[in-house]
Amino acid sequence: MMIKKLHGILTRGLKQARKQQDMMHGEYKVPGGKLVVVDCMIENQRLTNVSLSGDFFLAPDEALEWIVAALEGQPADSGETILAERVRAATASAELLGITAEGVAIAVRRAIAGGAA
Amino acid sequence: MSDLLLARWRRYEWQLLRDPPRAPLTHMALDDALLTAGGGGERPPTLRIWEWAAAAVVIGRFQSVRNEVDLQGAERHQIEIVRRITGGGAMFIEPGNTITYSIYAPAELVSGMSAIESYAFFDTWVLDALATLGVRAWYQPINDITSASGKIGGAAQMRRAGAVLHHVTMSYDIDAAKMLEVLRIGRDKGTTSAARRVDPLRSQTGLPREAIIDQMIATFRERHGLHDSQLSTTEVAATTHLVTSKFATNEWLQALP
Repeated sequence: MMIKKLHGILTRGLKQARKQQDMMHGEYKVPGGKLVVVDCMIENQRLTNVSLSGDFFLAPDEALEWIVAALEGQPADSGETILAERVRAATASAELLGITAEGVAIAVRRAIAGGAA
Repeated sequence: MSDLLLARWRRYEWQLLRDPPRAPLTHMALDDALLTAGGGGERPPTLRIWEWAAAAVVIGRFQSVRNEVDLQGAERHQIEIVRRITGGGAMFIEPGNTITYSIYAPAELVSGMSAIESYAFFDTWVLDALATLGVRAWYQPINDITSASGKIGGAAQMRRAGAVLHHVTMSYDIDAAKMLEVLRIGRDKGTTSAARRVDPLRSQTGLPREAIIDQMIATFRERHGLHDSQLSTTEVAATTHLVTSKFATNEWLQALP
């Protein structure tokens, strides 16, 4: 019982540690705008666990999820142009201030290039 | 700013809410509730002056808690972390260290303006009030109020159902050392200021904080008209509800961990 419990705790700890280790982090300051931060992982050569944050303005609030959904599952070798195009399409009906589709794409590429945070 | 645009302010019967000190979570919820009330036509256009009952880090709607806040530092100084409804950057609040206000207005007040133009438009009267006190300040797009000796404050906006919320925090006298223990701003960028205090308004006016607020209210009253007002029982109830159902929840605060 004790051993099983201990095993469970260790496995969870290991999984969490690996997740943190594999998490990649990229930042980009949009010229004349705000800081765009992307955290993500790569699994099977695709982007997963993407999160986007920063001191930018977005409306509606849900536009943040639209952007994340547009990046999730994209091939990790996607270029800036492709990524920016996807973000632009996802935010066609949103208002962006201090953040741009290109800025998000650059932050993603920086996260991938920089590797683990 | 053209006189024609500025004349738009006079279309409304502006209300002043100068409230007693309130908890950080209550302030977050009040902005949400009063923006809704403004959009629903229950509240006339209003200027609200904030007073803080406790220290807080207020992070923007889209900021990550971990990226912005030194959690150990915040805990050591017993500083609460709250998330507001608008975008923009983190701010470090201690009672008396900043001047914060909100404007709730119909969206038509800024119709035809770009977002960037509307930021400057909403704070024209503040720049005038500061000028009266001898502070030369100007707008630095997108959303900063600045002066020759550095940034004074920052604004954020949100639009919902025909109403706009525009709120601003200006530094009166901030303990910079404590702020850097609590916020992660600029730590790894080599931009950390050696200054012990960030006190643009105190040092440039030589006045108590209350005197600056009094001048701001006087300027607003003179330019746009202003009637004293109080929170309605409906607004208080909506605010209390929003604190527990939204702002105090982990889901909201940790929306971006």
